[in-house]
Amino acid sequence: MTAAATNGAPKNAPKRRAEAALAKFHEEGQLNTYDAKTLLRLWPYVRPHSSQMVVSIILLLLGSAAALAQPYLMGQGLDSIGKVPGGLVKAGVILTSLIVLEQAIAFPQMYLMQVAGARAMADLRRAVFAFLHTRSLSFFDRTPVGRLVTRVTNDVDAIGEMFASGALNAIGDLLRLVVIVVVMMRMDWQMALIAFASLPPVLIGVNWTRKRIRSAFREVRSKTARMNAYLNEQVNGMAVVQAFAREEESAAEFDQINSAYREANNRSIIFDATMDASIEMISSLCVASVLWAAGLHAASDRVSFGTLFTFVAYIDKFFLPIRDLSARYTLVQSAMTGAERVFELFENQDVDAPDTHGGEKTDKGVPGAPALALDHVTFGYKPTSTALRDVTFQVAKGERVALVGATGAGKSTVASLFLRLYEIREGKALLFGVDVRDWSSEALRSHFAVVPQDVFLFPGTVASNIAAGDETPDMARVKLALERIDALELLLRREGGLDAKVEERGSNFSAGERQLIAFARALYKDPDILVLDEATANVDSETESRLQRAVEGALSGRTALVIAHRLSTIRKADRIVVFHKGQIVEQGTHDELLEKEGVYAKLHALQFAREEVAVPSGRPPAIKESTPPAPPPE
Amino acid sequence: MTDTPLAKRDHPITLKGQLRDKAWIYLAGGGLLLVQQFLMARRDFFVRDAVDAATTLRGGDAKIAALSIFAVSIIAALARVASRYIVFSAGRNVEYELRAVLLDRLQALGPSFFRTMPTGEIMSRATNDLTQVRLLLGFGVLNVISSVFAFASALYVMATISLRLTIASLLTVPLLWLVTRSFSTRLFTRTRENQEAIGHMSDRVLASLAGVRVVRAFGLGGSEAAAFEKSNEKYLEKSLSLARLRGSMGPVMGTINAVGVLIVFWYGGALMDDGAITPGGFVSFWLALLRLSWPLMALGFVAAIVQRGRAGYERLRGIFDAVPEVQSGPLVREEPVRGNVKVEHLTFAYKDKPVLRDVSLEVPAGGSLAIVGRTGSGKSTLAVLLSRLMPTPRGAVFLDGDDVCDLSLARVRGSIGYAQQDAFLFSTTVTKNIGYSLDDVDAPDADAKVKEAAREAQVLSEIEGLPDAFDTVVGERGVQLSGGQRQRTALARALLRSCPVLVLDDPLSAVDAKTEAAILEAIERQKASRTLILITHRVVAARRCDKIVVLDDGEVVATGTHDELAAAPGLYAAFAREQALEADLDSFDADTALPVPT
Repeated sequence: MTAAATNGAPKNAPKRRAEAALAKFHEEGQLNTYDAKTLLRLWPYVRPHSSQMVVSIILLLLGSAAALAQPYLMGQGLDSIGKVPGGLVKAGVILTSLIVLEQAIAFPQMYLMQVAGARAMADLRRAVFAFLHTRSLSFFDRTPVGRLVTRVTNDVDAIGEMFASGALNAIGDLLRLVVIVVVMMRMDWQMALIAFASLPPVLIGVNWTRKRIRSAFREVRSKTARMNAYLNEQVNGMAVVQAFAREEESAAEFDQINSAYREANNRSIIFDATMDASIEMISSLCVASVLWAAGLHAASDRVSFGTLFTFVAYIDKFFLPIRDLSARYTLVQSAMTGAERVFELFENQDVDAPDTHGGEKTDKGVPGAPALALDHVTFGYKPTSTALRDVTFQVAKGERVALVGATGAGKSTVASLFLRLYEIREGKALLFGVDVRDWSSEALRSHFAVVPQDVFLFPGTVASNIAAGDETPDMARVKLALERIDALELLLRREGGLDAKVEERGSNFSAGERQLIAFARALYKDPDILVLDEATANVDSETESRLQRAVEGALSGRTALVIAHRLSTIRKADRIVVFHKGQIVEQGTHDELLEKEGVYAKLHALQFAREEVAVPSGRPPAIKESTPPAPPPE
Repeated sequence: MTDTPLAKRDHPITLKGQLRDKAWIYLAGGGLLLVQQFLMARRDFFVRDAVDAATTLRGGDAKIAALSIFAVSIIAALARVASRYIVFSAGRNVEYELRAVLLDRLQALGPSFFRTMPTGEIMSRATNDLTQVRLLLGFGVLNVISSVFAFASALYVMATISLRLTIASLLTVPLLWLVTRSFSTRLFTRTRENQEAIGHMSDRVLASLAGVRVVRAFGLGGSEAAAFEKSNEKYLEKSLSLARLRGSMGPVMGTINAVGVLIVFWYGGALMDDGAITPGGFVSFWLALLRLSWPLMALGFVAAIVQRGRAGYERLRGIFDAVPEVQSGPLVREEPVRGNVKVEHLTFAYKDKPVLRDVSLEVPAGGSLAIVGRTGSGKSTLAVLLSRLMPTPRGAVFLDGDDVCDLSLARVRGSIGYAQQDAFLFSTTVTKNIGYSLDDVDAPDADAKVKEAAREAQVLSEIEGLPDAFDTVVGERGVQLSGGQRQRTALARALLRSCPVLVLDDPLSAVDAKTEAAILEAIERQKASRTLILITHRVVAARRCDKIVVLDDGEVVATGTHDELAAAPGLYAAFAREQALEADLDSFDADTALPVPT
């Protein structure tokens, strides 16, 4: 790194190339054109709370009026000293009531705005969350979950900050500026003109700095993101850094990023400090101009002290909002970026179980039809690939069918199609004789319970995971489900029992325990059809026999589709469907198929060899079924 | 580039040390603030003079005073910008230095540390806590200095004009200070609660989306929406509670300030009526009072800043003070490493669970060895112990006859290259990932080397097919390389590395048979130039090595060549049978198998 920075241009070319590639890559979300129309799209969410907002804005105007009347009244009061008896007291009383009014208004004004904003954002978040849950599974396969979480949380928050910080009060500020100018002009237009002689250069200056502050802030943001990403990656990839002994190089590279971050911040400090100090300075300069002008006036016409004081006080009030302007502008900008991202997401068209088939949706099957059927189905996860080719088979009610095949043969895909997690390319999938596309997706999925290969546990407790979907778990049913797979005692023995907390993704449970919870979850639902995708994870022999018992407990007396790996499970099936390279090549009972000496015989021999290798029970990981890639956690 | 990473270890890491280190900066900033506040006091006096001159019809005097205000204001503004820049950048320097130290310390720590402190926790310390420390040593210090001077300066002006009015107007000061203090502490608590609520909501959303398959399969859409709504409501409630505090802060402060203004207006007006103060004095006093309110509020915040800064620093200490379990050894060896690796009676336990038991093996320099075993047999642990990526016990692993624990870490890890099983790629370009071990990826020959390594790892054509070929950014957010592509890219990275000993941990778990054969050819070529240790469960890979060690349940159960082991009954032979059947099945074409009509 160090050497490269000082080297000549030709050597730097690849580096610039890499940098350019990285810059292009990180561009995501850094939209340069801000479109105020994006903010208008927020209206449907704001509208239900608009009455609060209107009240807030009315209060804002009232408060501004109360604030702006004060210097004027002070001037009047001061002028009355020695002229009007009791004038000072009278002005003081009015002034006090105005101040009380101003401050009394301030809280409801601010709070109403925040309530309206926060509620609107809560509605927006709900909408984003609900929208995400109507996306198709292929959308989740493609999009990192972390990015989606950001849409619901950070991006909506950025919009909300616009309301929370009172950036909308800028409306009031602008009005204040106008009123101050008008009042001062009316009081003494010559002096007002002199006072505001410095205004054009101020505006030019503010505008100049504003642009720079904006770009400085943007740079700080991007440098911060870069630094956090780098550090995060260093921590995650520390094993690689250490194995390659690249600590010094990483430190040098990080130093560049860390310095760039510091420089960017220092630049923004300069602008920030300059902005603040200049406003203070210019406010002083304006006061000086007014006093100078008053001195000039003095020769011909006495300027009242009250007027002078009012001017000085107004000048102070004039510059406060200008100081806040740039900060508020930045907030509005990040709000627009957030809104842009959220609404971009809303444009996504990948609907889960789309209404492609037309007609009425049903929630009842045809009496007497087979429970499950695939009719000449061809399917691929991507348009370019094919996972299943012309697959046809049926599962009768009460039948237990095992799907077997080598890695990538397509057997896991079958279950996803029955649940309509993906759309079939050709042919159709039927549940109780009705095309899955004619079922309402709720009714369709209510007939199934799935035990997946990679068990996913939600944050909560063991019981809440088993009783997924129920707000309060029916403990009797939870226990019953666990008893049927002979796992109740095991889980009760754990600290906390069935109320034991489940950490992120169930990391505090062993693979075997997670499997058992997934079985219990399926049984709790008590579905018509059970889909079991047998796990191939390595477990100890005790857990293995437990799991075998659990499979038996779960499957007995039920229509079941088992994506099987264990010989014991396969042998107990009523029928075996053999998949090979996306096609069904054989079907029959264990004995029939063995006689054929075809693919099944080979598979059987292989599985036999595997279980032999995996003494006493574990299996090597080579036979991991290839499920479509789950979205990686960000 | 004056800062070498080595120098960074010398940055002071205590708060006191940092304060001392930046003492001159603070002194300079303080000096400028003193100048600025002095000038502001002058300004107030000039305002008094100007007003008095204007109201008593002395135009010339007013002009001089006005010009003086001009001059003083400009210089004061410059001093203010400079002081802020100086003190804030001191805070930024502290942040910069501590962050560099942080990475330095993290790099020395091993897997056991990272297991106890998850990435999120480390990141929170590197960002939030470090920010608090920066605020303490930048903003906090500036506030203390500037508030003290501003206070003195304003008080001086006010007292000069009228002592009685000063005392009267300061009646509200203790109240303002107390109120700010209590607000700032509560603001901190509520902000934290607010962040916790959004964190909780974020976790909830993450779980719901990551588990979308279960949500679909079990029809959990409704209950997930309800669960989300709960956390959404909770967050709304927390934000509104914060909003109430934030919203009431302004009016409360405003009211207290207004009381001060009223006192000045009423009592000051009366004093002016009596002729005790001049109109100019009145305006000047009023301006000084306005200057006073911000430093007072700032002082109220200081207590919270100090408290948070110290708490943040304590959490950083948790990383700074963590003791690395692997330390560099003292033995200095100048001659190049030949590459003889010897393991003698190595026993290793992870916590109380024994992983390796009395393992012994040897690879001569330039030789090759395969370590075969099923998952969980301890073969990966053995691999990482060779280069001390975990705490290798003393007297168990030798490199060219020297105990690796005696050698410097740079020598051990620099010469024993280890490529891990789960391919972690950095989110940068393909070139930079593959060329990770190159000192200069911009060197003229680097591109060729990277390309060659990609070719050897059988990933070249796929990389060239990517949108930006070698300049494509990979990684979690990048173009989604498939698992196999990631693994082969990582393999290319390992092959490119020039080290006398190469340890490859299961480099072929996600590749198909044809690619596997081609990669094995490449690995074969590697054998010519260095010592090769191959961790694998694949017999086709193991058979190419001079010697094979079979590991089971942490113990060496067999040693020999492929032919010897394949002939004898045992784990290796079982592996061989299984994999032969697998290959047989794979070569079987679906179309030749007769589909059964249904």
